[in-house]
Amino acid sequence: MSDHILELLGAYLDGELHGGQLRKVEAHLEECQNCKEEVQSLQTLSAALRSAPVPNFLAPERLAGNVVLRLPRTPAKPMSHRVLEIGWWVAPVGLILTWIFLSTTLWVSNFVTTANELGLLSNVAAELVSGSSMEAYWSGTLGQFGLLAGDSLQWAEATEAFTRTTLPQITWQVSIALLYLSWMAIWWARHTRQEPNGLR
Amino acid sequence: MTSVSQANETELVTRAQGGDRNAFSELVRSHAQGVLHVIYRMCGDMSVAEDAAQETFIQAWLQLRSYRPGSSLRNWLYRIAVNTAVDMLRKEKRILPGAVEDLRLTDPQPGPEAMAANSERAETVQEAVLALPDASRAVLVLREYQGLSYHEIAEALDIPVGTVMSRLNYARKLLREKLEVQLFLFAEAENV
Repeated sequence: MSDHILELLGAYLDGELHGGQLRKVEAHLEECQNCKEEVQSLQTLSAALRSAPVPNFLAPERLAGNVVLRLPRTPAKPMSHRVLEIGWWVAPVGLILTWIFLSTTLWVSNFVTTANELGLLSNVAAELVSGSSMEAYWSGTLGQFGLLAGDSLQWAEATEAFTRTTLPQITWQVSIALLYLSWMAIWWARHTRQEPNGLR
Repeated sequence: MTSVSQANETELVTRAQGGDRNAFSELVRSHAQGVLHVIYRMCGDMSVAEDAAQETFIQAWLQLRSYRPGSSLRNWLYRIAVNTAVDMLRKEKRILPGAVEDLRLTDPQPGPEAMAANSERAETVQEAVLALPDASRAVLVLREYQGLSYHEIAEALDIPVGTVMSRLNYARKLLREKLEVQLFLFAEAENV
C-alpha cells in the first residue's frame, strides 16, 4: 500500500481530487483491498463525528441582541486597507523609478566626466563636474608621504577608485534588485497560497 | 438560521462598516448558528461557546472595516471564531466535561439505554476531538462539521491548501487510533 496513495484517500473522500490524481486513486482502489478498507474506515470516522449532536444554543435573535448591547458605538478605526493596497503596488513602481533615476544620473555623470576628460566641455561645465573626479585621495596622500610607491601605489589607487565608484554602484543596483525580487516573491506567495497543492 | 442573499449580505456589510448596528445585528443572526457550532466543536462546552460566539461577533465588529467585501464573510467569521475559541480555552486552561450534559439535552433517542449509549459515544468522540492539537482540530471542525471545502478552509484559516490536507490527515489518523474500538462498534451499529 503506497504512502502516497494513503495520503490522498482523505482528499478523495472529501471530493477534493480531480483529473489525474482522482483517476490514479480510483484505479488503485480497484485493486487494493487495504486501501478500500482504509476508505471505509475514514467513512466510518466521518459518520461517527457527524453523528455527535449539538446542544440547544441561544436563539440567533437573542445572541444578536446580546452582541448589539455589548458593541462599542462605531466600528474601531481600522488600518486603511486601501492605503496598504496602494502602497503595496506603489512599492515596485517606486523601485523601478529609483533604478531608472540612479542609472540615468550615473550615465549622465559618466558621460560628462568622459567629455570633460576629452576636453569637450567648456570651463563652466568642467567646474560643474569637477566633483565627480575619480582621483584617489587617501592613496595619493599615502603616496605623497612615501608610504606607497610604484605598483603598490597603482594597486591602492585602483582599489580606492573601485570602492568609491564601482562598489557603491553594484551595491545599490543589487539592493534594488533584491528588494524587487523580494516583492515578487511575496506577491507570488500570496497568490499561490490558495492554490491546490498536489491535489490537481 | 436566518439566511440572507449574497447581495443583501454585501449591502448589510457596507452599512455595518459605516456603523449601522441594525445591519450588523442582521449579520449576526445570519451567521450565529455556524459560529456557535464551530466554537462548540472547538471547545466542547455550550456556555463557553455562547460567550466565545458573542466575543467573536464583537471582534468582527471591531475589525469590520478590514474585511474585504469580495471574500467570504462566513469564512472570515470562522477564522475569528476559531481564534477566539482557542484563546478562551487557553484562558480556561481546561477542556470542559460539561459537554456531556449538554448533549443529553438534545439526544433524539427516546429510550434511557440508547440515550446513555449515545451520550457515552458522543462523549468519547468529543474527548478525542478536543484532545487534538488546536491547528488540526480547527481544520477537522471546519471540514467535518461545517462541510467547508479545502479552499474555503485555507481561506478561513489563512493557510495553504496543502497544509489543510496534511492537518486533516493527521487529525483523522489520531482520531482513528484513539477511537478504534468505538469506530468498530459504530460501524457494527450502522450495519445492523
